[in-house]
Amino acid sequence: MLFRLENLSHQYSDGTLALDNISLSFAKGERIALLGPNGSGKTTLLLHLNGILKPTSGKVYFEDKPLEYSPKALLELRRRVGFVFQDPNDQLFAPTVKQDVAFGPLNLGQPADQVKKAVDEALRLVGMSEYAEKPPHFLSFGQKKRVALAGVLAMQPEAIILDEPTSNLDPRGTSEILHLLLRLNKELGLTLILATHDVDMVPLFANKLYILNKGKLVSEGAPAELFSDAELIRSINLRSPRITHLFEVLKKEDNLPINPRLPLTISEARKEILRLLESGRREKKKRTTA
Amino acid sequence: MAILLDMRRGKEQKNKWHIYEEIGTEMSHFNLSAEIDRYAYTNALSKNSPVTKLLFALSLLLISVLSPSPVAPITVFLTSTSLILFCAKIPLRFYLRLLWYPTLIVALTCVIIALFFGYQEPLAEVNLLGLRWIIFRDGVATGFTTFFRVAGALSSQFFLVLTTPMTSILLVLRKARVPKIIVEMSLLIYRYIFVFIEVMETMRIAQELRLGYSGWLKKLRSLSMLIGNLFIRTLDQGERTFTAMSARGYDGNIRVLEDLPKPSNVALAGIIFFAVALAIIAYLTMDLRIV
Ligand SMILES: Nc1ncnc2c1ncn2[C@@H]1O[C@H](COP(=O)(O)OP(=O)(O)OP(=O)(O)O)[C@@H](O)[C@H]1O
Ligand SMILES: [Mg+2]
Repeated sequence: MLFRLENLSHQYSDGTLALDNISLSFAKGERIALLGPNGSGKTTLLLHLNGILKPTSGKVYFEDKPLEYSPKALLELRRRVGFVFQDPNDQLFAPTVKQDVAFGPLNLGQPADQVKKAVDEALRLVGMSEYAEKPPHFLSFGQKKRVALAGVLAMQPEAIILDEPTSNLDPRGTSEILHLLLRLNKELGLTLILATHDVDMVPLFANKLYILNKGKLVSEGAPAELFSDAELIRSINLRSPRITHLFEVLKKEDNLPINPRLPLTISEARKEILRLLESGRREKKKRTTA
Repeated sequence: MAILLDMRRGKEQKNKWHIYEEIGTEMSHFNLSAEIDRYAYTNALSKNSPVTKLLFALSLLLISVLSPSPVAPITVFLTSTSLILFCAKIPLRFYLRLLWYPTLIVALTCVIIALFFGYQEPLAEVNLLGLRWIIFRDGVATGFTTFFRVAGALSSQFFLVLTTPMTSILLVLRKARVPKIIVEMSLLIYRYIFVFIEVMETMRIAQELRLGYSGWLKKLRSLSMLIGNLFIRTLDQGERTFTAMSARGYDGNIRVLEDLPKPSNVALAGIIFFAVALAIIAYLTMDLRIV
């Protein structure tokens, strides 16, 4: 197991109990989504994974060893586990894109020519090579998000934690980031752990889903399983993916013979529609021959 | 592609400022400095060695300010201006917009100097509302010289800020062993100034749209709230930036890639030669009478 949380609780200094007795584990190579409404504790949970926050009670295990908080151990952990923050303005501090992306690798003590290579490669991956010499305030929000991701990729981590990687992005930007992440997972075997409240994005991305609400772990499993429990989803102020909702209505209100495992994505919906049409046609044929 | 994007950005910016004009806030100095910053990165000389440009601008500044006659400052002004317009390819309109406000103030000051200073060799006598007023030759000469000194100094500094990205200036400072704390602070300040300008503009528009600036009492209240909020935001931002930096292995040292373009020896020699020649001109024209 890459990460394991054991009865983790976190209370902020003002008394807010942001995480309440959470136990879960993340395996290597998985694409994990944490889903929950605003203030449910997603960011707080993620910040425990690379040692920025310490649990008030409970334990964090990294590769089955309890997390150490010495500066040296933390540097090693942060080399292997990158973190992309929710707001790119928090992360981009350097005066140019290139300098910002170089910051992580330089902190790892790599020699300059190796750093330059890593920077170029990371910028190429996120499609921002043209902007290497620009200051961040020349970039659009979505471009800043990509640079923030490049800054983490340049450290060549084995896992990346992403806090709301697609919030505030336009549809095109969202799908580009999503495809980039899926490619990194597939080609380099990167483990991805991502927090979001974008339910439409979850089934496209995740193979494992955790639902948080008010600091508690409400449910975990494959996205398809969890989204078929419409009651649960609604009870915590989230909704099903739009496409799933449509099929739910078609099934309930219009009594169409839809599979109980509702489609979550466009491609699944397409299959389901084709299946419905096909069975309809067969029915008709049967009736005409009879 | 890059040009296209730049054009698109330019348009966005214009639209943004258009809103301010409509609302009637005074953000012009913000967008002026943002525009200077933009030219610093996009002008035709931006890729040249910052060491050369820094050396050039500083030596011309010194010569302009110290020169006793206007000949050297005028040469400085003409040289910097032609470099700005023809080598860096900064649009004339923009350069004039930058120049005209300070020039106006300096010109007024120099007229006052010319009229009220001096004590040798009366040049003219005017009758002003029944008052006899004497203008002296050395007063006029001082006013004249001061004007060109300032013009030369201004143009050499505009050359620096219009052609050299802040980033490279910071790298040069670092190389010149300016204390780390100063360089690192400037680096962060430079980056976050733009973030805060954006935050401030957003907050201000939000207040404006809720009529926070109708009437001076409300104006005062809105403004003080804005400043208070901004202060809290800066503290908050500091903490969040620190967290994000820690996540990438920050240990108290900001390391940067040093890949400045090398200064060319020809250019350095040229600058030194030019500066020495100007200094000699300044010396030789010390006693030049201009009026
Ligand atoms: N620094 C802090 N000090 C005190 N309370 C905090 C702090 N940060 C977060 N909280 C509180 O902890 C709870 C969980 O916050 P968290 O940021 O983890 O939520 P989130 O799921 O990431 O929300 P969002 O979707 O809005 O990003 C919230 O009630 C929040 O108000
Ligand atoms: Mg969050």
